[in-house]
Amino acid sequence: MRKFNRYKKNYELNFSLGLLQKLYLLGFIILIGVLFNYQIVKGNYYSKRAKNNYVRVIPLRSMRGTIFDRNNIALAYDKAVFNISVIPYQIRNKKEELFNQLSEFLNYDLKLINKNYKKNTLSLFSPVNIIINIDKLSALRLKERFKDIILITTQPQRYYPYPYQSAHILGYVKEATSFYDKLKKYGYNPLERVGFFGVEQYYDAYLRGNDGGNLIEVDAKGRIVGFLGERIPLKGKNVHLTIDNRIQQIAKDSMGDKKGAIIFMDSDSGELLALFSYPSFDSNAFITGKNTGKFLTDKNCPLINRAIQSTYPIGSIFKPIISISALEEKKITSSTTFNCTGKLTLGSTKFGCWSVHHDENLYEALAHSCNVYFYKVGLILGQKTISKWSKKFKLDSLTGIDLPYEKKGLSPNANWKQKKLKKSWYTGDTVNLSIGQGYMLATPLEATVAINAIANNGYFVIPSILKGVEQVNSSLSSRTYSGISEKNINIVKQGMRMTVSTKTGTANMLKPLNLNIAGKTGTAQTRGKSHGWFIGFFPYKEPKYTICVFLENGGSSHEALNVVYNFLNSLKSQNLLEK
Amino acid sequence: MYFNNLKIKLSGIKTIILCLLFLNILSISCIFSSLHQGGEFIGKTLLIKQIIWITISWIFLIFFTFINYRVYSNFAYIIYFANIFLLLGVLIFGKTVMGAQRWISLFGFTFQPSELSKLSIIILLSHIFSLKGQKNFLNSFVFPIILTVLNALLIFKQPDLGTSLILIFLFLGIGLFSKTNKMYFIGLIILGLIISPFALNSLKDYQKKRLTVFLNPNIDPLGSGYTIIQSKIAIGSGKLIGKGFLAGTQNQFNFLPERHTDFIVTIIAEEWGFIGIIFLLWIYWLILKKILSKASKLRDQFAYYLCLGISFLFFSHIFINIGMTLGILPVVGLPLIFLSYGGTNLLLNSISMGIFFNICRTQR
Repeated sequence: MRKFNRYKKNYELNFSLGLLQKLYLLGFIILIGVLFNYQIVKGNYYSKRAKNNYVRVIPLRSMRGTIFDRNNIALAYDKAVFNISVIPYQIRNKKEELFNQLSEFLNYDLKLINKNYKKNTLSLFSPVNIIINIDKLSALRLKERFKDIILITTQPQRYYPYPYQSAHILGYVKEATSFYDKLKKYGYNPLERVGFFGVEQYYDAYLRGNDGGNLIEVDAKGRIVGFLGERIPLKGKNVHLTIDNRIQQIAKDSMGDKKGAIIFMDSDSGELLALFSYPSFDSNAFITGKNTGKFLTDKNCPLINRAIQSTYPIGSIFKPIISISALEEKKITSSTTFNCTGKLTLGSTKFGCWSVHHDENLYEALAHSCNVYFYKVGLILGQKTISKWSKKFKLDSLTGIDLPYEKKGLSPNANWKQKKLKKSWYTGDTVNLSIGQGYMLATPLEATVAINAIANNGYFVIPSILKGVEQVNSSLSSRTYSGISEKNINIVKQGMRMTVSTKTGTANMLKPLNLNIAGKTGTAQTRGKSHGWFIGFFPYKEPKYTICVFLENGGSSHEALNVVYNFLNSLKSQNLLEK
Repeated sequence: MYFNNLKIKLSGIKTIILCLLFLNILSISCIFSSLHQGGEFIGKTLLIKQIIWITISWIFLIFFTFINYRVYSNFAYIIYFANIFLLLGVLIFGKTVMGAQRWISLFGFTFQPSELSKLSIIILLSHIFSLKGQKNFLNSFVFPIILTVLNALLIFKQPDLGTSLILIFLFLGIGLFSKTNKMYFIGLIILGLIISPFALNSLKDYQKKRLTVFLNPNIDPLGSGYTIIQSKIAIGSGKLIGKGFLAGTQNQFNFLPERHTDFIVTIIAEEWGFIGIIFLLWIYWLILKKILSKASKLRDQFAYYLCLGISFLFFSHIFINIGMTLGILPVVGLPLIFLSYGGTNLLLNSISMGIFFNICRTQR
C-alpha cells in the first residue's frame, strides 16, 4: 500500500488509491457474503425449491380501451372469446395424440392447432392457446371430455362492428410477437396486443391496457397447490373520435364501388367528421387471421388510405390557389380579362382548354374552370412564384393529422427538376403546373386543407381525429393565419361560389341542394382514366363544412359531383348538417 | 502524433488479455446455454451475433491501444458536446412524434448515446480535474457537476435510470479521489440524501415500481419481483460446485426472462456454483487491481484520472449488476461487463480497455 500513499502525497489528493482498492474489495466481499448465504447456507433449500419450481404465471389479459365516434357509438371494442389452452410440460408425451383428438372432436383444423401451439409457446409451464375463439358450449363439452389436460381460458378479442366502413381510420391490433424486439423496451409482453395502422397504432399508448396475472404453484402433475399472488389487469383508456359514424356510413354508401376518398371536415376546427377510402378492408379479418390474403394481394391495395397515404395530381383544384397567388402578388385583379380561344400555343406545343370561353374575368374563369386563363396567369407568375405559393398552401408538407404513415405531396420547381430528373425547367412545365398538372402531386387531405384555408378566411387548420381520451377533451384543433388579405379571399370565394350558382358553372348540379356551396371541380389527367375531384365548402360566406371527394381514375369531375350530390343529399335528408 | 509506435509489447497487459479472453469464452458459453429450452437448442442467431460483436470489440480494442490517450484530453469538450447533441436529438425527435408511433421511428437510437456518455464523462472529468492552475469551488466542483448533471438528466429523460445514476457515481467517485476539497462531495452526498424523497416523485411509474419491488419483492410477484425470486432460486440451487454446463434447469426452463442479458450471472451461478462465481469475481478483481496499480505509478494526471474512472466504471457495473441479481439492489437494468449479451456495452468496455492499454504502452 505504500506506493499508493506516495502518489497521494505528491499530488495532494484527497484519498489514496489504496483506499479505493479497499472499497472495491469490500464490495466484492459483500457480494461473496450474499452468494455464500444463498448457495452454501441456504443451498439445499433453494435446490429443493428449484426441483419443485412449478411456480407459474397464468396471465390475465387486459382489455383495450374502446374507440367511440363523436356520438358515443363504439367503433372498436373488446369482447370475450373462449380459448382452449394446454401446458406444454403436462402434455409433453401425448401431444400428437391429444391434438388429433381435439381436432376430431371439434372439427378444427389440425394444422392450425399445431401452428398456434408453435406460435404461442413461451415456456414449458405457461398455458398455450391452441384453439382460439370457440363458443361456450363446445368449450364446456371439451372440458368434460378432457378434464385436467386442457384449460379453458377467456381472453378479450378486438371487434369492429363496422368492418369496411372505418377500417382505415381504426387500423387493427396484432400480437406483439413479430415486433417484440422493438416493443420490449416499452414494456410489452410478447402476446400483448399492439395497434397497427390508424387510431389503434397512433393512440396505442392510451388504448393499451395493463396485463395482470395469477402467480400459482403447481405440482409435477400440474395440479394447483398454492396461490402466491395476483395482479389485476387494468383496462386501457377509451378514446373518442371526431368521426360521426352516421356520416361515415353515408360516405361509404355514396362511394359505392368507386375507388377514391371522401373527406368531410369541420371548416373552422379541422375536426374530421368522415374520412373514407375505398377499396376498404375488414379489420376483423386481421384479428382472427382468416381471409387476410385477399386484402394483402389485391392489386387495388385496399390497405392504403387514399385520403392521406397516396399522392395524385390535383388538376383544376389548384386554380383557386393560383388565383390567390396572382391576386396577392398584385399581378392581376378580379377584373383582369384574358381571351380563351380553346388553346394556348407555345412554340410548337399546344395546350388545350376543354371549351372555347372567349373573354373571361377571374370570376368566370373559376366558375368555368378555364384552362387558358390560368395558363396565362401562370406564365405571368413564373415557376418560382407558383412553387412559393403552393408551399405556402402546404401542398408539399404533412398536414399533421393524427394518423400514422401520412404521405406528403410534391410542389415542383426548377431546382427540384434539375436535381431529380436532371432536366431543365421548360416554360411548358410552368403552363402545366398552373393548372395543377405536370409534376405536382398532393394527397386529397393536403388539397382539402389548402382549399379550406380559403374557406376559413385565410386560416390553416391541422386536421384531427381525436376528440377526447376518457372524459377529458383532448381536441387537437389549432389554427394558423396565412396572412392572405380578406379582400382577395372573398374574390376567390365568389368565383368558387359561381362554380355552383351560375348556370354555366362546372358544379351547377349541386345548386338544387340549396346548401350555398362554393367549390371547385377538377379532372386531373394521369396515366389511364383521369382522376375526378371536387373540393368545396358551405355555407360559402361562413363555412361550417368542407368536403372533398376524390375518385381515382374516376373518369371526370362529373362522376365526383354525383358522389358529392348523393352524399350531401343524404346528410340533408337525415338532418345531419345541424350542429 | 495521434498514433504511437506500432510495436506491440505484451508484458504489462498479458494478464488482462488472458482475463478478457476468459470472459469472452464464458460469455459465449452462457449465451449458448441460455438458448436451450427443456434440453433443446432453440436458435443460434443471438450466439452468432455475440461472436461477431466480440470480434468487432477486439478490433476496436486493438485500434484504441494505438491511439495516444492524450488526444482525448484535447478533444474532451468536443466529445462531450457531440454526445450531448446526440442525446438532445433523441429527445427532441422523440417529442415530435406522439403516442405509440414513438417506438417505430425511435428504435435503435435511444441506446447508443447513453452508453457513450459513460466514457465521454470519464474523459471530460479527467480533463477538468487534471487541469493545472487554481483549484476553487467554481471551476473544480460547480462546473464539472453542471456538465455531469446535464448529461445525466438527458439520459434520465429517455428514460434510463441506471445509466444516469452511473454518471453521478462516476462524478462522485472521480471527484472524491481528486484534489478538490472532499467536503464539497461529502456535502453533496448529504444533500442528495435529503432531496432524494422528492426526486422519487419525478420517477416514471415503472421505475418507482422497480424501487418499491426492491424493498418488498412480494408486492409484485409477477413483474420485477418474479424475476428476483426466480433469480434467487437459480443462484441458490447452484450450491457449491454447480450443476454443470448446460445442466441448469432453472435457466433452461425459461423461468428468467432476461437471462442472457442483465441476469447472465444466474447462469454462471447455477451451472458452476459458488466456486464458479468466486472464480469470476477473482478475474474481475485481477483486472481492477491491474488498472489501479498502473494508475498509482502514473506521473500524468490525466492518465491517472482516466484509469480511476475506468476502474470505477467497471466496478460499479459489476457491483450493481450482481447486486440486483442477488436482490440486494434495485433492478435498474445494467449489463454485466464483458459477459452480458449486447454489442454497445461490450464495445464501450473494450474501447475503455484499449485506452488503458495505450496508457500502459506510453507511460512506463
